[in-house]
Amino acid sequence: MIEIETLSVRFGGIKPIDQLTAMLSAPVSGLIGPNGAGKTTLLNVLSGFVRPVEGAIRLDGRSLLPLSPLQRVRAGLRRSFQTEQVVEDLTARDNLAALADNVAAVGERSRTTDRALDFVGLGSVAHRLGARLNLFERRLVELGKCLIGTPRLILLDEPAAGLTDEEGARLRDLVLAIPDAFGAQVIVIDHDVELIRAMCAETLVLDYGKRLALGRTETVLADPDVRRAYLGEL
Amino acid sequence: MNTQRTLVPAAVPLAPEATVRKPRPLLAVALAMAIFSAAIALLANAFWLSALTSAMALSLSVAGVAVLYGQLGLVSLCQFALVGVGGWVTLRIGHGLQPPFEVSLLAGGVVAALLGLLFGVPALRLRGLYLALVTLMLAGAFQIVISAWGFPDGGPGFLGRADGVGRSMLARPALATEAVPYFLYCAVIATLGLMLVQAHKITRPGRAWALIRKGETVAIASGVNVLAYKAWAFALSGFLAGIAGGLLAGNVGQLEGRAFSAFESLNLFALATVGGAFHWYGAVIAGLLLRALPALLTDLGIDGYVTIGIFGVALFHALATAPTGIAGKIASLLERVSRGAER
Ligand SMILES: Nc1ncnc2c1ncn2[C@@H]1O[C@H](COP(=O)(O)OP(=O)(O)OP(=O)(O)O)[C@@H](O)[C@H]1O
Ligand SMILES: [Mg+2]
Repeated sequence: MIEIETLSVRFGGIKPIDQLTAMLSAPVSGLIGPNGAGKTTLLNVLSGFVRPVEGAIRLDGRSLLPLSPLQRVRAGLRRSFQTEQVVEDLTARDNLAALADNVAAVGERSRTTDRALDFVGLGSVAHRLGARLNLFERRLVELGKCLIGTPRLILLDEPAAGLTDEEGARLRDLVLAIPDAFGAQVIVIDHDVELIRAMCAETLVLDYGKRLALGRTETVLADPDVRRAYLGEL
Repeated sequence: MNTQRTLVPAAVPLAPEATVRKPRPLLAVALAMAIFSAAIALLANAFWLSALTSAMALSLSVAGVAVLYGQLGLVSLCQFALVGVGGWVTLRIGHGLQPPFEVSLLAGGVVAALLGLLFGVPALRLRGLYLALVTLMLAGAFQIVISAWGFPDGGPGFLGRADGVGRSMLARPALATEAVPYFLYCAVIATLGLMLVQAHKITRPGRAWALIRKGETVAIASGVNVLAYKAWAFALSGFLAGIAGGLLAGNVGQLEGRAFSAFESLNLFALATVGGAFHWYGAVIAGLLLRALPALLTDLGIDGYVTIGIFGVALFHALATAPTGIAGKIASLLERVSRGAER
């Protein structure tokens, strides 16, 4: 469970996150909002790359803000990036192993790497260099990295961007299986409302850094304010 | 959004193809080096043997620079100064305490590693041009110090200078006092050093370095301790430079302060890119360019300054069209040949 309390972020003159209070407890939650709404910024705050000017965040009751980004990774926080960050000259497997090196015990590394590879279905291209992987495979590498060790909170920043419908559906099934298989909570950002509807029991809508709506995905997506501010512009 | 932009200078190219397959690369290094060294030991005369011994030694220091540049995209221009530090310490310990050569050599490597770490401190904050400038200044500072101090040659005191009278030579290792055995001795150590670097590349440090090169944000998000892995690269690079310096000192028995100008550090980096910073044999090629090419020209009676011109052209060529250097060309050639053979 992730609790966010009166969180504010300031970049010079703008406030990409403004007095945000929210609690997300569904196994898979959605985070949506128009471009520039502050979604990625919220992920950056959660993973420790952006310091808020005020507010508090708790993960399963534990205060997150005092931890450095590295400490958060060791505490089970995982994330993917909006533009995929697969290392071109490492193999798919080594991309995952690079994380296992730092978060798993020596004897566990190979096992956790293989388990994540198998889970996302990259076993057959495990030894292919990152540079030779297609976009879907790269997105799967990023997802696999999030499953190394003992993940507790997984943050996915537009994991399906650029994928075909078919690939998006496969990704959706994988993400839906994560909470049971790995015991981690997942938060997904995406612009594809249908994908969010299919994946997330609960959704938070941001608009100009403020909470526009939060609740059961169906309810939130039917909300007139949300339809006007967000869906209307599609 | 902006935070995940990569922080490594854009000009640094990526290693082009497979670097990862478990223990075979190490075996390949050992085998290739064994054949290469055996051929030289059988064929070379005294003049060439001395030049090629230096080339072997220097290839180690190039391998160090290649770790920083090839793995992390960091330009360090004080590597030859660290070679000098290693040589100085080896001579100092060797003359002062007369331990086995290996002890002096190891001391040279360790002190250069510590200094390399210290020289690397600015790199924890600086990158690109700024790091290059700061390290070049350090190389300049070393040039000033070493031209004032000179290298120990058996005299008294901390500096160990005999000032012309009774200069003594550093004894070579007991098991390699003659030219051919000493060449092979250097070849074995160079091979071990190159294998050490290769082992780093295909294991945990190599993966962490690759992530740092990709971008510090993604590295941190993957749990990599960026400072520690950068520091380790600088220490490793310094260690290899120090060992190279010690081996150079053992080759002739003494070192000349004049030979350790800042220009040499610049030259070493330039040739590291010409040789190729992304393949292990790039370091061997660069070592040969640094010492064997000038020897060849001397042998042919051509003025030594011509080498500077050749190096300039080679560097220009590397920067303009071949960022992976000669080694990169060889690698893609080998790949094409082996693909052709498979068909
Ligand atoms: N490092 C930064 N410095 C200054 N401003 C920033 C920085 N990162 C983001 N912003 C600004 O903060 C606002 C929120 O950006 P953010 O990336 O969080 O949006 P987003 O909801 O992820 O949008 P998108 O859907 O386009 O990815 C934008 O106005 C953006 O320009
Ligand atoms: Mg975003």
